[in-house]
Amino acid sequence: MIFALIGILVGAVIGFLLPYTYNTAYSLYITVAILASLDSVFGGIRSNLENKFDIKVFLSGFFGNSILAAFLAYIGDRLGVPLYFAAIFTFGGRIFDNFASIRRLLLYKTSQYK
Amino acid sequence: MQIDKGKFLILVSSIGLGILISTMMKSNLESYVPVTLLSLEVMQEDLKFINSEVNELKDEFKEKEEELKSIKGLSYSDSTIVDKLNIDLVSSKSISGHMALEGPGIIIKMYDNPEDEIIGQDVNDDVIHDVDVLNILNDLRVAGAEAISINGERVVSSSELKCRGPVIGINGISIGTPFIIRAIGDQKLLMAAVNAPGTYGDALKNIFAIGFEPEVEDDLFIPAYSGNFSFKYAKPKGEGDK
Repeated sequence: MIFALIGILVGAVIGFLLPYTYNTAYSLYITVAILASLDSVFGGIRSNLENKFDIKVFLSGFFGNSILAAFLAYIGDRLGVPLYFAAIFTFGGRIFDNFASIRRLLLYKTSQYK
Repeated sequence: MQIDKGKFLILVSSIGLGILISTMMKSNLESYVPVTLLSLEVMQEDLKFINSEVNELKDEFKEKEEELKSIKGLSYSDSTIVDKLNIDLVSSKSISGHMALEGPGIIIKMYDNPEDEIIGQDVNDDVIHDVDVLNILNDLRVAGAEAISINGERVVSSSELKCRGPVIGINGISIGTPFIIRAIGDQKLLMAAVNAPGTYGDALKNIFAIGFEPEVEDDLFIPAYSGNFSFKYAKPKGEGDK
């Protein structure tokens, strides 16, 4: 949990210092991709706490989910249907699920949840 | 502190995520707020307003085009061009002051303090000065007076209003009290500009006890300016609008 927070803070500082910005036309895709990778990071933290962490699963989820989410948003834009809602609901819900598990794992380290 | 591979990977990927997020925040996006009914209404009002403005401009454009066409057409027939020039002449004369005008307006009569008892220690406080008349004149101009005369002298763009001892000089001649100012314009506005509490005219009348009598008049006559404008140093430059 701490690692992820530190990482996001460090990354945010780097991002603000870097002179690059996105083309605003892609902002929706990037936003959905951010949501997907945020979910992957939460999932990684959870599996790490559960000692079930798998590098392959984590990396494939991190990149695969982001790309799929951005792709869904793009396809939705082409078709005129807001498909990115699928990504928002799925990953938004999963972030809370993961966070709930993380909370329980951290709160009851010695109990049956572990 | 021992860092296992998983934690390290999470650290790296969250750094990447942080970069993504902060770069996103930097680009100052408009938020994806759903369109509310209120914002829709405001937008529609704006649109209506802009459309009406466009229509007005189009009308004006058409008007000017027709004017241009009529002027171009005029050049072929002599009698109509004389009419057109006469109309222009009247409007130019009215603007320069070379044409007598009539219309509704107000008359102001100003004279020195008529009482035996003087107000201040200085007798100057009881007489009208050029500045007093000038201030009233400016108030009238601000209130939209279209033509002004003082004691039968038309106030034009070159008119001076200068103290000459017991008299005031205007258009090169001297006039004495009482000063009678005639102004054509919106009667209510003109009256308010000189008579309302807090105006210069009100202060003259009620504080300095100087004779100041504004009256509404429905049919005012304002004489033409008898002098001539002569330009010795100034030369016309370019072609102005109108």
